[in-house]
Amino acid sequence: MDVFDGTYGMYNSKQNTNTPLKKFVVPSIKVCFWRIRKQWKMHGRLKVKTTAEQQEAKRKEREEKLSKYQAATGRLFEKRKNAEHDGEALDLTGRILAHNSDFLTMWNYRKEIFQAFHKDKSSDEMQQLYQDELSFLETCLKSNPKSYSVWEHRCWVMDCMPQPNWQRELLLCGKFLEYDERNFHCWDYRRFVVRRANIPPQEELKFSTDKISSNFSNYSSWHYRSKLLPLVHPDMEQPQGVEETALLQEHELAQNAFFTDPNDQSAWFYHRWLLGRAERDQSIRCLHVCRPLNRLVATFSKHLKASAATLNVVKDGEVITGRWHTPRGTDTFEQVLIFEFPEHSLTPDRDQHIHVTLDTEAGLVGRECVLGAGHPEVFSRDITESQELFRSELSVAKSSVLQQELESCQQLHELEPDNKWAILSVVLLMRAIDPITYQEQTLQYVDKLTSLDSYRRNYYSDLSSRFLIENTVMQSEEGTNKLDLSGKGLTCVRHLDHMTLVVQLDLSNNRLTTLDIPVYMLQCLKLLLADNNNIESIAGLTNMPLLGRVSLRNNRIAKAQALAPLASCTNVSVLDLEGNPVCSTEGFKSDIVSVLQQIKVLDGSKI
Amino acid sequence: MSAPVKDVTIPEDAPSDLLLNKHADFIALYGAKKDDYEYCMTEYLRLSGMYWGLTTMDLLGQLERMDRQQVVEFVAACQHDCGGFGASVGHDPHLLYALSAVQILTLYDALDAVNVDKLVEFVSNLQQPDGSFYGDKWGEVDTRFSFCAVACLKLLGKLSAIDVEKATNFVLSCMNFDGGFGCRPGSESHSGQIYCCVGFLAVTGQLHHVNADLLGWWLCERQLPSGGLNGRPEKLPDVCYSWWVLASLKMIGRLHWIDKDKLRTFILACQDEETGGFADRPGDMVDPFHTLFGIAGLSLLGATEVKTVNPVLCMPEDTLRRINLHIELLSS
Repeated sequence: MDVFDGTYGMYNSKQNTNTPLKKFVVPSIKVCFWRIRKQWKMHGRLKVKTTAEQQEAKRKEREEKLSKYQAATGRLFEKRKNAEHDGEALDLTGRILAHNSDFLTMWNYRKEIFQAFHKDKSSDEMQQLYQDELSFLETCLKSNPKSYSVWEHRCWVMDCMPQPNWQRELLLCGKFLEYDERNFHCWDYRRFVVRRANIPPQEELKFSTDKISSNFSNYSSWHYRSKLLPLVHPDMEQPQGVEETALLQEHELAQNAFFTDPNDQSAWFYHRWLLGRAERDQSIRCLHVCRPLNRLVATFSKHLKASAATLNVVKDGEVITGRWHTPRGTDTFEQVLIFEFPEHSLTPDRDQHIHVTLDTEAGLVGRECVLGAGHPEVFSRDITESQELFRSELSVAKSSVLQQELESCQQLHELEPDNKWAILSVVLLMRAIDPITYQEQTLQYVDKLTSLDSYRRNYYSDLSSRFLIENTVMQSEEGTNKLDLSGKGLTCVRHLDHMTLVVQLDLSNNRLTTLDIPVYMLQCLKLLLADNNNIESIAGLTNMPLLGRVSLRNNRIAKAQALAPLASCTNVSVLDLEGNPVCSTEGFKSDIVSVLQQIKVLDGSKI
Repeated sequence: MSAPVKDVTIPEDAPSDLLLNKHADFIALYGAKKDDYEYCMTEYLRLSGMYWGLTTMDLLGQLERMDRQQVVEFVAACQHDCGGFGASVGHDPHLLYALSAVQILTLYDALDAVNVDKLVEFVSNLQQPDGSFYGDKWGEVDTRFSFCAVACLKLLGKLSAIDVEKATNFVLSCMNFDGGFGCRPGSESHSGQIYCCVGFLAVTGQLHHVNADLLGWWLCERQLPSGGLNGRPEKLPDVCYSWWVLASLKMIGRLHWIDKDKLRTFILACQDEETGGFADRPGDMVDPFHTLFGIAGLSLLGATEVKTVNPVLCMPEDTLRRINLHIELLSS
């Protein structure tokens, strides 16, 4: 049958009347991410009780449909094998796809048919064929608006068409988004059309404003703004930044949204983005040169791979050839790298000027230090950096903007005292404005959040742990290598990259459950106190050659084997474990010694 | 104008214990009903369906109930000369099914049944100059395919066959204002895509690119009063989204930021006490897809009755230990 005259297929009722295939309508279907979703629905299918009779009728009906479906697919595979690219194939694939629109192979066959048609059809004929294909795809989308395959095929058709009408596609997107304003396939298709049709970002920003004005609760549209705003109103001073006047207007829009519906997440997530966050540049944050170990430890502001970085060490004007490696000897991205000097290159009786440099995309970065004659070690650090970094989590240029935002959020908090979003914003703004002065207030607010929003209580407790650590690091005395984080109720330890020169660390009397964090970044560490926590495992306590004493009293270490990571810290000679379940196990001491052969003193007694 | 929270209510009589053997029976029966209507209608994703079913059986400790030889022969028959795999015999090759094939063959320790070199060639040929991956020769680009490519190659020990740096740059170009990821540059964050992109970074040892506190916050806000997790703001909860979110949280060391007990209750309520299997939401029809992600989710939540699942590859940890595959995750 040659149904291929521009009015082919199932959407031509005249040609369709006698087609038995029309019947195999699969049950109503919905969609899900990934490989399924579709008419053949796995999502949102309500289970309904049916009688045996109904079941039998349904079984029969399905059996019939299935045999027709299988006959059609069988026929199509046969035709494709024989390279038959004709109207029948187009019609049959259309019938299959109308009911099973993620049947990838069928779409591919269809594409091949179109490609074959190009050989002997005129441009006008092809234009018509593609137009029909677009109509067909619209019918598919009406029953299955979230099919990856259908949207993808539409892109393909538009790219193949002799005269694509992009404006029409834009209207179609608008229509589909009216029906479901969160359909991310349609949003993606819109971006595809916008790209092809060179639609200026200003127009799209206006579209998104219109969408938001009609419904603030439209996360997709807020998302789109986050992409468009830096294009339409770029900040000349920072890449991806937004120019200030536009930014202030945007704040107003977000405020309108959360004052209208304070429980709507969309505007709050967007608001947090507007407040900005710092993108740090690569730099060498600190150095430690240790004569006894004949090595140098460098901390970087961004992760890098020892094997892939161009690092140079110059001593007294001379390039030194040595080996860079990670603390654990792994080929991983790290912020701390170690350089082994060649033997005897650190002369003991003279000052040693050492300069480390790293090639980055933005140019050369470096740091220098002087290892004084007779001194065993030297520390070199940038003391301002931690402070700036912590505060610039919210990095709007002007503190006046932050102050204004804080007032608005406080106002909302007064109106809606139990609104968690307003409280969290107040907390973040206070942190950005003055973390030390506001410390008590922010911690009280976080406590309130914990009781208001108990599902996320651990998020909030980790948040206050982070704040407390930041404040402690910021308030550390200049030049000290001791860090006291004890008794702060910490549930996590963040910012180890700002502690890499710490020699004595006290984590006692907190609520920590593990030390699986990369404590090995602390390559200068000699003493670690972590008594009175709930620590069960210590996977991160490895490869610290200077570590001499570890105290883990009153924790939850149950087996000697849990301490095995510490075996790689070969200098640990004093270990305190009193009050751990492991202490009451049989053969406790000998078990510990067999796991940690370097221990000389266990719980105060010599071994 | 306050928008109502979209959520479901868990019925009082919903199941609250894991019906382990029922689920195994459901999967075993599903694979055996080759003439069943639903089974036939889903042929276009057969290899993925088999991966869901077999992984479920393995996590339940009942993989031996399935016919290994039959499965391996079927998978081998799905391979094309180009090295790629179709969803079923005669179906066109696609990266989605390449990954399913490799996952199944790894479960069965049967990679020697197919042409691995050709498969590696198939995967690496799909990489584009910008680092992205086509799903197949027709040119659809999606971060899902970036994940499929590296997951596949990692399982084969052939990650060096592609340009990982370029692939990474593409994935990072899909990162959004909320710390999440979308399908392509400019696309909205979605927990399925987040799982793929975070998984990509985990497989390639680059989780440091994730802003874990920001993304973790967005992810833990997916939990609704019912305990279930949705995939994006203002959407309904779903067992499969629970997996994508939960696994992503696990990878970035923030699993404890949701209420585990509430999520467990939600997942268990999605079981069908009569037939076995899990549905997307309580009271809906069950299927193998949600059954795997229900079981895998419970495993991540610490269920001791099932094997430990790997959050990156959604495969049993013991299988990955056997092939010496270790993926480092962020610590909490």
